[in-house]
Amino acid sequence: MISKAPTLSAEKGDRKGGMGQLLPLKIEDYKTDGKDEVYDRQTAFRYMNGAAELYRAYDFKLLRVRKYVKKDHPSILVELFDMGSSEDAFGIFSYQTEEEEVGIGQGSDYGGGLLRFWRGKYFVNAFAERETPNTREDILMVGRAVATNIKKDGPKPKLTQFLPGEELVRKTIRYFHLHQVLNHHYFLSHENIFNLGMKTNAIFATYLFQGEKAKTFLLMIQYPDQRQAEKGFKGFVKAYMPEAASSNTVQTENGKWTTAKLHQKYVLVIFDAPSREKGEKLLQSTENNLKRRRP
Amino acid sequence: MRNRKTLTRRDFLRDAAYASMGAALGPLLKEEIRAEEKVKVILIRDENVIDSQGNINPKIIQKMLDDGVCAYLNESDPIQAWKKMIKPNDIVGIKSNVWFPLPTPKELEEAIVKRVLDAGVPKKNIGIDDRGVLKNPIFKSSTVLFNVRPLRTHHWSGIGGCIKNYVMFVSTPWLYHGEACSPLASIWNKPIVKGKTRLNILSLIRTQFYNRGAHHFDQRFVSEYKGLLIGNDPVALDAVGAHLLQLQRIAYFKEDKPLDNPPTHIFAADEKYKLGVSDLRRINVVKLGWMEKSLI
Repeated sequence: MISKAPTLSAEKGDRKGGMGQLLPLKIEDYKTDGKDEVYDRQTAFRYMNGAAELYRAYDFKLLRVRKYVKKDHPSILVELFDMGSSEDAFGIFSYQTEEEEVGIGQGSDYGGGLLRFWRGKYFVNAFAERETPNTREDILMVGRAVATNIKKDGPKPKLTQFLPGEELVRKTIRYFHLHQVLNHHYFLSHENIFNLGMKTNAIFATYLFQGEKAKTFLLMIQYPDQRQAEKGFKGFVKAYMPEAASSNTVQTENGKWTTAKLHQKYVLVIFDAPSREKGEKLLQSTENNLKRRRP
Repeated sequence: MRNRKTLTRRDFLRDAAYASMGAALGPLLKEEIRAEEKVKVILIRDENVIDSQGNINPKIIQKMLDDGVCAYLNESDPIQAWKKMIKPNDIVGIKSNVWFPLPTPKELEEAIVKRVLDAGVPKKNIGIDDRGVLKNPIFKSSTVLFNVRPLRTHHWSGIGGCIKNYVMFVSTPWLYHGEACSPLASIWNKPIVKGKTRLNILSLIRTQFYNRGAHHFDQRFVSEYKGLLIGNDPVALDAVGAHLLQLQRIAYFKEDKPLDNPPTHIFAADEKYKLGVSDLRRINVVKLGWMEKSLI
């Protein structure tokens, strides 16, 4: 591991100091090894190679890594990320939520010896250097202590409020900015056909209609303004559903339905709906929520 | 590269399965299958290379390397085979990979060093490095490179293979992360590496076939495949590797879980940068050794 911490600006120095206080020096019999490491958007590559790109796809500011040691036990590593906002902390957390919710922070996920959770503007990974029968309980204990220290909750992305609740699989709500992350959840194209960027906010969520085994997906993108939304919408229609007439609904090669709509500075798309009617109804409900709740 | 259609999910649905992208992208990128000779790639496996404690047997991995290199170069003696690739006055850099969850096995590094020494290169002229290559005097003055790393999925570039392993030869790796890392092959034209690579070895001893985890690593999605893929064409090795990882995901999940990002850089390496062959139909995989559940 790299022991040399990067030089930090005054603002980053403040962040670094604050983050240090969020990590307890001692958690029951686990103590810090005293060799914290701090990385920013540039230096994070030194710590995690290309995996840093995922964090950089959000407003990641600073990472503090602390190792907790206990005699005759594998060390536990905690990675505390300042994600700049609670929205982006939720976003990075939502990237992978396929494991067990263990009730830590504002959302958590434990599996394969890794605890992930978010609280406020912070996202946390905690994992042991190797697994033993006690690993799980120790990791969860450390995670709870860190979550308690963070103290303050933060809001989820506003876009989540506009998702129709019925038949929504809540654990599958993903929040992101870039097309690479969209491709992780649902490969659409190797090119950026929606013209997504750091100033676009997007939600991708899964719906399971009653009586249907196959999943339907909802994508909602918020652009900085209507002009950019129009550009993104046109780019998508041209690349993905060029045969669509004014209805902007097509049946794709898997027999499912895709339907899309531009609403002010929002682009809404339903993928893989079991029928035209169900797809258009879900799209309409989402648009109604946008109109009613006024973001 | 000439203008081409934007590929979308629907293109892959149209082609039923993306067959590691090779088959799906191939027809779109190429007007016809070229008639050139196939590229030779060696796949060698040994079921005993990892023992019951999870340790890699150095003798077996040495034998795998020797047999694979001999088969690749049509030689019967491994030292003679290595002498075909290097001269005693060469300065040899072994570009490895230190990514801590799944590094290049040190036993494999040692096996390569042994043969480079056997070929007459003095120890002082042999270097192994990854992140420090730009500052390493051996690599800065190298005349020959050997490229060795494990095969794994990579959330940004689709897979981490031979092509991507040279990203440390540039000081700003993140500038090569655009469009699913498609410009990666351009690094192979930099003076520090251009024309120096004598052999690529993709370690399949353990492969990571699916991403999850703090650093996109989860032990549950690591397979003990117990193999090596050997050849001189990094694009061909990566194309076969990408195909293998897809087959491993299908075997594990009982369904195809596409890569986070398709390995566009492999096809760009072929079509745009002319670094090698990505079309699986033009790659001849010569199989040696234990082939149970080889998938390919």
